[in-house]
Amino acid sequence: MNDTTNDAANNAMDGAVGKAVNDTVDDTAKDAVDGAVKDTVNGAVTGTGTGTGTGTVRAKKPLGAVSASTARRPAGRRTPLLALGGVLVLLALVTVSVANGEMPLPPADALKGLFGLGDPGTVLVVQEFRAPRMVAAVVAGTGLAVAGTLLQRLFRNPLASPDVMGVTGGASFGAVVMLAAGASQALIPLAALGGGLLAAVLLGVFAWRAGVSVTRLVLVGLAVQAGLTAAVNFMVVRFPTELAGSALQWTTGSVYGRTWTEVWAAGGAVVVALVVAFLLHRRLAVLDLGDDSAGALGLNTNTARLQVLVTAIVLASLAAALTGPVAFVALAVPHIVRFLAGPPTAGTLALSGLAGAVLLLASDLVAQYLLPVSGLPVGVVTATLGAPWLLVLMIRQSSSVNRSAR
Amino acid sequence: MTSHQLTTDQLANGQVTTSKVTTGKVTNGQLTTSQSTTDQLTTDQSTTDQPATGQSATDQPPANQLSTHGLDLRYGDRLIVGGLDLVLPGGAVTAVVGPNACGKSTLLRGLTRLLAPAAGTVTLDGSDIHRMPAKALALRMGLLPQQPVTPDAITVEALVRLGRYPHQRLLSPWSEADQQAVEEALRRTGTTGLRDQPVDQLSGGQRQRAWIALALAQDTDLLLLDEPTTFLDLRHQLDVLDLVAALHAEAGRTVVMVLHDLGQAARYADHLVVLKDGQLAAAGAPAEVLDAELVKAVFDVDCRVIPDPETGTPLVIPKGSPLRHTTASD
Repeated sequence: MNDTTNDAANNAMDGAVGKAVNDTVDDTAKDAVDGAVKDTVNGAVTGTGTGTGTGTVRAKKPLGAVSASTARRPAGRRTPLLALGGVLVLLALVTVSVANGEMPLPPADALKGLFGLGDPGTVLVVQEFRAPRMVAAVVAGTGLAVAGTLLQRLFRNPLASPDVMGVTGGASFGAVVMLAAGASQALIPLAALGGGLLAAVLLGVFAWRAGVSVTRLVLVGLAVQAGLTAAVNFMVVRFPTELAGSALQWTTGSVYGRTWTEVWAAGGAVVVALVVAFLLHRRLAVLDLGDDSAGALGLNTNTARLQVLVTAIVLASLAAALTGPVAFVALAVPHIVRFLAGPPTAGTLALSGLAGAVLLLASDLVAQYLLPVSGLPVGVVTATLGAPWLLVLMIRQSSSVNRSAR
Repeated sequence: MTSHQLTTDQLANGQVTTSKVTTGKVTNGQLTTSQSTTDQLTTDQSTTDQPATGQSATDQPPANQLSTHGLDLRYGDRLIVGGLDLVLPGGAVTAVVGPNACGKSTLLRGLTRLLAPAAGTVTLDGSDIHRMPAKALALRMGLLPQQPVTPDAITVEALVRLGRYPHQRLLSPWSEADQQAVEEALRRTGTTGLRDQPVDQLSGGQRQRAWIALALAQDTDLLLLDEPTTFLDLRHQLDVLDLVAALHAEAGRTVVMVLHDLGQAARYADHLVVLKDGQLAAAGAPAEVLDAELVKAVFDVDCRVIPDPETGTPLVIPKGSPLRHTTASD
């Protein structure tokens, strides 16, 4: 940080004072000039008369934060509006989802059919063929996004997500093992759930011994994920060709061919886990204060952290059990919501669930109808849609900071 | 608010009656002799920079007396605090001082249950704090850590609201009492106007007040502060210390704080605890324990101790030659 600000200030100084100064002034003088230049550049540093370069750098830091946060602050009040917008978009996507297919239906009829009204043929098509896939996308998207939000906040690490923690890797491992064993399709989601939890146990065994160190957890998670992915790839390579396609679905994530049994089971469990997540939110907010403050507020930090962690792992495993390891939703949605709605609250946690559902359902629709290649797993789309969007958001965010700092 | 004024206020209110305070403790073969308090008494009348407002706390509060009994605190194999017997008088402002790495912060962690003792006990009014439910203890004792972690982009009010955590159950909604406690905490710390500001964009002094507001919203009789003035300039140091003094005088809170500046400790504390190498070097009223011998023994600094011209409390003036090295520093 210091280096960058100093560099920036140096550049600014170069522009203002000219290159000649650079080599002639000694370090202290240079720092002082840096400070002065920075003051004028920012146009807002007042009064304190900072003598040294470091002092000025420190004074500048909160200033940068000021502009960034001021831009974000009113966003907190946008949460209800964003939630309303999200619900409307989701309803629109649901309508599109049930109305389209091999036999396109008028949207009104399709929606009626969803609730068992209207022509029995329509009801059958909508309820038995289209709705399970749609609901699976909604449930899995919500679960993944909330899991990602919980993990990123718990570990104060923007990279923390079920993908990094090995959970989704465990889920694919479970599914592929079951596939290799030749078990029935119905057992595969169960195996995926088991695999996700197995990964969590592995994580616990290796990372828990020295208390709960965040870095250690993330590093061990990466190792577990890499190991399980390697195991999956090894099995897929040795599969007979006709099974390899099926395995691909469980390694990239897809909502194709879900049945009501699977959807109800996983959906019910996801709802329970979501309720737990919201009940834990207050503890999560206290955990944000760091262990000492949280402990002094009467929170058993290790227990609370474990509760949040298990909830997130269960959510991600259930989602992966339904759709396979859909990439990017858990990683990107928390950042997107953070950018749109501001600092995390219980409201933004709900919003991230909604955003996850929207993202996954939209991606599935894109995979089904907009792409020339048919039968593409939704995970491919979430990654190709999500990655550039996240990049754009990050570029816009950083450039807005720069603008307001000037 | 000077320490001497505080003491007389409390005595007038009958607050500091139960505390058994060991004064002039002998350790390391050093006898800490009591210094004459006449200077202090004569200058007492001149200390009118702060109005004495102790009258509001007339009803008898619980004693809020923390004590340690043979307390050993360890980090792994390292013994940080060894065999400490200490009484932190209830109803008083206690300052814990000592050289770097003498175990001050560790002691505070032990007192707040953040660190389990390797041996010995910590009691609050006679009951072992490690046997109390975490939330029950949090209803009686608040802590401001040395370097608190400010959640990203949290507003002052959102931060202060978290102080209500021990008062809430899993499903209880935000109550009128919660909101009142938050308003009161904001008002006392002068942060009401900053309530919608993100904490990470406040100045150091404002941020520290926001964090004190969190501890106040917790609404505990006992408040522990770990170096609340570190990283603040003189004006903001005094603001924080005056705030602490006002909390004690107006709200009758018992305060235990770790301080670095001996003069400030002597000014603002009724009771001084001096630690060296995890051992008690001295404890008692600042005027009685703080003298040149003690400073030499604990900090390895040759000095004169003179009455503070403003308050009459002891003031440490290091000897002319720049003696910067301390054997106990880390």
